Amino acid sequence: MKITIERAALLRALGHVQSVVERRNTIPILSNVLLKGENGRLSLSATDMDLEVIEVVEAKIAREGRTTAPAHTLYDIVRKLRDGAEIELDAATDRNTLFLRSGRSTFQLTCLPAEDYPVMTGAPLSHEFLLAAAELKSLIDRTRFAISTEETRYYLNGIYLHTAKNGDVAVLRAVATDGHRLARVEIMVPDGAAGMPGVIIPRKTVVELRKLLDEIDQPVRIELSESKIRFDFGDGVLSSKLIDGTFPDYDRVIPLNNDKELEVDCALFAEAVDRVSTISSEKSRAVKLAVDRNTLTLSATSPENGTAAEEIEVNYRAAPIEIGFNSRYLLDITQQIKGDTALFSMADASAPTILRDAADSSALYVLMPMRV
Amino acid sequence: MVRDERDQEIEPGAAPRQRKIIHIDMDAFFASVEQRDNPELQGKPVAVGGSRERGVVAAASYEARKFGVRSAMPSLVAKRKCPELIFVKPRFDVYKSVSQQIREIFSQHTPIIEPLSLDEAYLDVTENLQGIGSATEIAEAIRARIRAATHLTASAGVSYNKFLAKLASDHRKPDGLFVITPKMGPGFVEDLPVGRFHGVGPATTAKMNRLGIHTGLDLRAQSLGFLREHFGKSGAYYYWISRGIDERPVRADRVRKSVGAENTFSTDLTSLDEVCKALVPIVDKVWRYFNGSQMRARTVTLKVKFADFQQITRSRTGHVAVSGHDEVLHIAVALLEGVFPVTKGVRLLGVTLSALGEEADDDRRQPSLLL
Repeated sequence: MKITIERAALLRALGHVQSVVERRNTIPILSNVLLKGENGRLSLSATDMDLEVIEVVEAKIAREGRTTAPAHTLYDIVRKLRDGAEIELDAATDRNTLFLRSGRSTFQLTCLPAEDYPVMTGAPLSHEFLLAAAELKSLIDRTRFAISTEETRYYLNGIYLHTAKNGDVAVLRAVATDGHRLARVEIMVPDGAAGMPGVIIPRKTVVELRKLLDEIDQPVRIELSESKIRFDFGDGVLSSKLIDGTFPDYDRVIPLNNDKELEVDCALFAEAVDRVSTISSEKSRAVKLAVDRNTLTLSATSPENGTAAEEIEVNYRAAPIEIGFNSRYLLDITQQIKGDTALFSMADASAPTILRDAADSSALYVLMPMRV
Repeated sequence: MVRDERDQEIEPGAAPRQRKIIHIDMDAFFASVEQRDNPELQGKPVAVGGSRERGVVAAASYEARKFGVRSAMPSLVAKRKCPELIFVKPRFDVYKSVSQQIREIFSQHTPIIEPLSLDEAYLDVTENLQGIGSATEIAEAIRARIRAATHLTASAGVSYNKFLAKLASDHRKPDGLFVITPKMGPGFVEDLPVGRFHGVGPATTAKMNRLGIHTGLDLRAQSLGFLREHFGKSGAYYYWISRGIDERPVRADRVRKSVGAENTFSTDLTSLDEVCKALVPIVDKVWRYFNGSQMRARTVTLKVKFADFQQITRSRTGHVAVSGHDEVLHIAVALLEGVFPVTKGVRLLGVTLSALGEEADDDRRQPSLLL
């Protein structure tokens, strides 16, 4: 293989694939990126055996061929080359060496044979539908913060994507929970998604997918079956295994009869929570909300630091209530509320509370109060 | 098998008062229990441990020791040294219950007991519960009661610190008692080869020998600075013990920090299926041990040693304690899957539970959704 490519194009593509590569690998070839110079294009792929990202970029191909080179090293080299530089990648077929030449720099990298590189099969999956990039982004952004990091409950380590009914409307739902809070976002079910199996998309896949979506506007083709999902962006494909587990019946924790409704100005509320929680010393940064009539008093106490309190005007007509929350959890949610007003539906200080964007019913957040 | 972290801290300086320390060590413990329970084994060379290709001797009877069989020796080597050697599978449940019996005997004399393993403990009897003035008398009483209750023999060392008490118990083994008085202490250490010192292993012995240090007397001739330079933190410990000084207290409250078990396989395993299967009895063993204790663990660590002896560990820590055997197994398998596929065979697997103790305060204040 011998190709020439512009630095920016190579850097961008490598940037997309290299983060899939784990830093620690027991199998040497998994540290490498697979490079294929064919049909006037350079294809780069990386995998950790669960997740694979392939990206194709324009390049001048002098000699077709394939090889694999250390992903992180290659990325670091390209990153450090001058902007606008032309890069030549030259891999002799008979030797396991890749020459990278650019200007006056020459690098000689040790390669491993492309034939040994593990590739996920491209076999068709059972369901296929299109989703606007913006829609996919919003499904991810409004749920990913709630993904559990606790690996003992592995089935919560991802976003549960599935179809459901909201009243009479068929919807495609994304749900994530870490056991303390839950995020549920839904959109109209796209053509082709009806009857699809519910799947749990692993956290790492969500993270890599979200990075790729940053630079994409066109619709994404999603293919999935029970054990695998594929996102096709045209010049890039992300394929991933799915979490093999059962997502819990989350409907049980969404309260239906919370009658204490509190309306707050979302931005004012978030700022106040952030300010007051400065005083909390623990990791959880608990804040107390005391609501009476149309006044909300936010407060925090720390045995070491002292106390903080702030009042804000709100809309509230129910019986007075005092309730505590982890301020980080509150801020994670308010960040995703784009409208002016956030709506709390509470029962009491020890029961799950619902949060919503008053102007947008597509997302619903459930938050378990803290003892304060 | 089950490890606890040994603290090597030393607190030198003038002792406020003379302490009375007893070190009790059961004689060839596992092997003696087997001989006691199976008369056919009495008077014969017995090794407790796996006889298979990669088995290791966990304990050897005195008859076997005459042939040079030692604990931690590969079974194949032991068999070569002593072709008559009879291998017996360990029965840890029995050893544990005997261990419990002897600890009860200790506790009638002092609350300050520091168990080192199932068959060994330090006792501080400076203030003893039965008002027996002489530590030697207490040690004899304990040995007699152990013999009556378990039909097993124990050796005892009596001295004014842990280091010397342990040396003393070794001095008249088996079924013996030896006292090192404060007057004898420094002299006793003088003639001893450094390899006999507790805390000086083969590697340190070799290093000391290279530095011309062979006996306690040689060790005493070195400055504190010299020992620190060559042996780091342990240097000070060596400096003081060569003078018969060891101020480490007997720690009754020493908390176990981890519980682990491991297996070496008779042939290397290569497929994930095989290795997962091999993991089950290890997790069973760890959980059995762990479940009997009052501890909670948040971290599961998997150890994998490959055919070429390269060793890796992978661990996972949850926010809350692991809840049961199946969860431990599940995590261990998940960690294993992260290691696979492997290019070389797996020789040994180990599973350890750690991060014991209380859950974080936050976890108690933040209740969970009832998913």
